[in-house]
Amino acid sequence: MNLSFFSHIFLAELEVGHHLYWHLGKFTVHGQVLITSWIAIALILTVVVLGTRQLQREPAGLQNFVEYALEFVQGIARAQIGEKNFRPWVPYVGTLFLFIFVSNWMGNLFPWKLIPLPEGELASPTNDINTTAGLALLTSGMYFVAGISKRGLGYFRKYIEPTPVLLPINVLEDFTKPLSLSFRLFGNILAEELVIAVLVLLVPLFIPVPVMILFLFTGAIQALIFSTLSAAYIGEALEGHGGGEHHD
Amino acid sequence: MLFQILLAAEVAEKGGLFDFDATLPLIAIQFLLLVAVLNALFYEPVTRTMDSRSDYIRTTQAEAQERLDKVMALTRQYETEISQARLKAQQLIAEAEAAAARIRSEKLAVVQAELQGKLETARIQLEEEKQAALSQLQQQVDEIAAQILQKLLGSAR
Repeated sequence: MNLSFFSHIFLAELEVGHHLYWHLGKFTVHGQVLITSWIAIALILTVVVLGTRQLQREPAGLQNFVEYALEFVQGIARAQIGEKNFRPWVPYVGTLFLFIFVSNWMGNLFPWKLIPLPEGELASPTNDINTTAGLALLTSGMYFVAGISKRGLGYFRKYIEPTPVLLPINVLEDFTKPLSLSFRLFGNILAEELVIAVLVLLVPLFIPVPVMILFLFTGAIQALIFSTLSAAYIGEALEGHGGGEHHD
Repeated sequence: MLFQILLAAEVAEKGGLFDFDATLPLIAIQFLLLVAVLNALFYEPVTRTMDSRSDYIRTTQAEAQERLDKVMALTRQYETEISQARLKAQQLIAEAEAAAARIRSEKLAVVQAELQGKLETARIQLEEEKQAALSQLQQQVDEIAAQILQKLLGSAR
């Protein structure tokens, strides 16, 4: 069995890097990513709409669940941003968590292979670098918005604090933050799906199940990490770099 | 190694793992829309519901605490009233006992004085009678002595 044959099987089975291209004017988009992201969004919206149809003081049924979800994401934002400022950021941080969590679990739980596409395959939308980079760049934008709205142009003073010598490192940080965010999520989810695909290829029954359960866990963890880090970056921008003079 | 082959293959025929295109801004816009929609459908109303619930719980608890405090104050008031009444009753009993003792001693004193007086008069009377009897006896002794003397003297004459 030579390598080219092996890789040929893999390419045929895994279809890594194959995309369903849709052409919008002169742009192309990855259709499979958009389709699954729409499904994730639809899932979230369905649960939310069903859960908030009749909000009561004594919660019943699905209202308990949406309240639990809200308290959970509020907890993430509160822990990272602080009691005073966290409320306006709950929607952003919370939606990050919900969207990534639903996406990751959807990729793990639903047998997408059963729906054939002309090119590429349906999978978790977070296994595409475009999704994760888009979310990570949004987070970058958000912490700039947070810092500038809180401290005006004084926000940019953080680049020369504590000393101007650190300016290059501080500037570099603004690039490494979205880079690490997007690559961490993208790499983890893609690797999960690859590992499962390889395992299924080698042993089709039972053996991959514990690994799949493990990846449910890591999928949840990745969603938590992405939203927690985003909240931490926003909190850091609101608090002031190094936490020096802005503790009031 | 596999990936290198794979990537090389992909780059040649468009696609691959790091294939950035218009999906990125579309996902970002979609996500921002989702944030807005969820804010209107989920975060705002559920937060409001939970806040109003915690307000309700807080006010109810405060009211209950107030009532409890009132009950405690009433209990304390009643307890002091009870102890005051008990004290008053004890005072009354003590006063009545004291009055009874005074009356008893007074009456006892009166009776004793009366008895003493009666005793005294009896003793005086006795004394008088004794004196009378004694003087009478003396007289009789004198008379008898005189008679004896007369008889003795008479016979001798």
